[in-house]
Amino acid sequence: MEKAKISASQLFILMILFQLSNSLLIPLAINAGRDSWLAIIIAMIVSIFLFSVYQALYQYYPALLPTDYMEKLIGKVFGRTLAFLYILFFLFSAARVLREFGVMLLSLAFPETPLFVMSALLILVVVYTVYKGIEVVARTGELLFVVMGLLGLFLLLLIAISGLIDISNLKPFLEEPSKVIKTAFTETLYVPFGEIIVFTMIFPYLNQARKLKKTAIFAIGTTGVILALTMALNISVLGLALTERALFPLLSTIQSIEVGEFLERVDVIFVLILVIGGFFKVSVYVYGAVIGTASLFNIKEPSRLAYPLGMVVLLLSMIVANNYPQHLQEGLKVFPLYAQLPFQVIIPVLLLIIAFFKNKKT
Amino acid sequence: MNFKWIISCFMIICLTLLSGCWSSKELTDLGIISAYALDKNEDGEYVGTFQIINPMNVPGSLQGGASGQRPAVTTFTETGVNPTELSNRASRKISRDLYYSHTSLLVISEELARDEGLSAILDSMERALEFRATAKVVITRGIKAGDFIKVLTGIDQIPAENVLKTLDSTEKLYGENINTNLQEFIQSLTSTGKEPLVSGFSLLGDMEKGKTMEQLHSTDFDAILEANGLAVFKEGKLVNWLDGEKARGTMWGLNRIHETPVSIDWENHKKAIAYRVIRQKTDVSAQMKDGKPAISITIRAEGDLRTVAVPVDVTDPHVLLAIEKALGQEIKKEVEAAVQEAKENKTDVFGFGEKLHQSEPDVWKKLEQEWQDVSFPELDVDITVEAFIRRTGVRNNPYLFDLEKKSD
Repeated sequence: MEKAKISASQLFILMILFQLSNSLLIPLAINAGRDSWLAIIIAMIVSIFLFSVYQALYQYYPALLPTDYMEKLIGKVFGRTLAFLYILFFLFSAARVLREFGVMLLSLAFPETPLFVMSALLILVVVYTVYKGIEVVARTGELLFVVMGLLGLFLLLLIAISGLIDISNLKPFLEEPSKVIKTAFTETLYVPFGEIIVFTMIFPYLNQARKLKKTAIFAIGTTGVILALTMALNISVLGLALTERALFPLLSTIQSIEVGEFLERVDVIFVLILVIGGFFKVSVYVYGAVIGTASLFNIKEPSRLAYPLGMVVLLLSMIVANNYPQHLQEGLKVFPLYAQLPFQVIIPVLLLIIAFFKNKKT
Repeated sequence: MNFKWIISCFMIICLTLLSGCWSSKELTDLGIISAYALDKNEDGEYVGTFQIINPMNVPGSLQGGASGQRPAVTTFTETGVNPTELSNRASRKISRDLYYSHTSLLVISEELARDEGLSAILDSMERALEFRATAKVVITRGIKAGDFIKVLTGIDQIPAENVLKTLDSTEKLYGENINTNLQEFIQSLTSTGKEPLVSGFSLLGDMEKGKTMEQLHSTDFDAILEANGLAVFKEGKLVNWLDGEKARGTMWGLNRIHETPVSIDWENHKKAIAYRVIRQKTDVSAQMKDGKPAISITIRAEGDLRTVAVPVDVTDPHVLLAIEKALGQEIKKEVEAAVQEAKENKTDVFGFGEKLHQSEPDVWKKLEQEWQDVSFPELDVDITVEAFIRRTGVRNNPYLFDLEKKSD
């Protein structure tokens, strides 16, 4: 662990930026159809329970990283293996996010640039920030959060005054309730809400431990509302069919903006949101992996790991899929079931049960 | 040490300032397409025509020395088996890279829309990063799309812009044409409960003369582009044209009327009273009536009297009420005609299906499959129109009263 402290508001901002990032751009929970916003809200509420699990574990060991207390809970061999698997999970998640953002930038703004160059540039910035430590990541967050907020408000205003919103596109409400529940529990719960598992690596840095619960729940709630609103907005502007077909519905929504005869083609806002969001998500994941590796292998200066692990993420992001549709299918079908479900839900719950009994005895 | 610092600073500055973007293109390398037209030839290949802006010749541009001497646009035609082939093949003729981001008009010929439909070609426009979903679509009537965008125009010298502005103003002021962009078109195309409508455009006059600069040197152009009717699509193919009253009736039903004149007969005088709608609101709702779906359309129009060519006392509120009633009947007649036409064509251009889906999702599930062909033509549509006269212009009674007194 490095010697650093972040404040509750910094954690709040980091959590929001981290969760919004790519979820804001993709057709989140679109399998729930018109009620995708509802699926997001449901997943958000369930994820608060999930967070309570993480938080309870943190309460048992407020000064330790998860990679450390795993060893205490289930023994040296199993604990260390599990910690190592978690590090791989963070690295792999980082690689997936990096790939996503690389592809988004390519298909949106730089069609002729090779993916590797784009990803390499992104990861360079990430590596540098992570090298500087969590305090720098958090402070950068504060700065860019304001930018994101202003951009978001500006966009909302533009969409509202250009008269694109047609609420009737959201009707009929609850056409297939089973789909909503299914989507909420099989997709949306894991991305983006379950991804806060990586924040368990950051919780120990919080300077006011008692504020954690309130801050995190507030952050999750805010994210859920923003994401639900975004999806509702996309569907009400584009209609369901187009939202389903669009790779990036928010981009299509932004492209439909025509205010007066001059204020149009504001896609650059999308690119800004994309780069800011992508930067934070990859940074937090890489930071989780770096700090975890350092504690697992007793490395004195964690920041020295930023470069090698950054390279691993970069290469992993290149080989993770052959093309974008394949990447998306992995993200929807394979990854949630075989990686996110165990790492985000099952293992933390099991650990909590073990922690409960271990601490009861003593 | 100091020297090293200077060198590295210098290198960083070079790196950031000299490299530029990865695949940067200078403005002078881009052929900015203002309009894109698609036809089909006898061999079954697509024929694309690009209307490219001549930056030097656009009046008001910075270097605009040559304006008025040469046309503001140049057109090129190329063939290809699909739009992508076509676009890249065109590079054999055009000295610049084709740049689609400013293409604001997509023109499609009637034959292509009728015989093959648009389903196959719109995908490449929607998929492309550069092509804008807000580009407007029009269908040409009686003329090839390629020829259509070759005609030079007067007030707005870039023909694409001229067409767009015409379309805009006629929808706002007359209401027989609709402004459909690519995105809206695809939305309706893919919806089971709504069929797309696109404005038609035709050419008045001599197309050959319209292509030359001679055209612009006269007050009375040899060739004029005119918005003409609404093209009705079904399963992606053009099936029918709506003109005149039926077109406007359809626009009423879609709540797309802004300002439009309505004329009625009064006391044996043909079309003697004209009313201009200033604002209106059309509500369409679907509900179940005796186990069958039914649609009710409620129109509330507000406006002024603009022509009173009969001696009628418009200061009398009772007379105004009578006129309002007659106006309501007139509008209702138009909407009824439009609904009737849509039913005969089995094309739900009003989106009644979508309304039903929104209010009665269970019923819709059963009807969705055969909505256009079976359920829609039998639909019970109830139309209520209320027209309100708010003002009578800046005069009270028409001077015809005084003329009458004079002749007595």
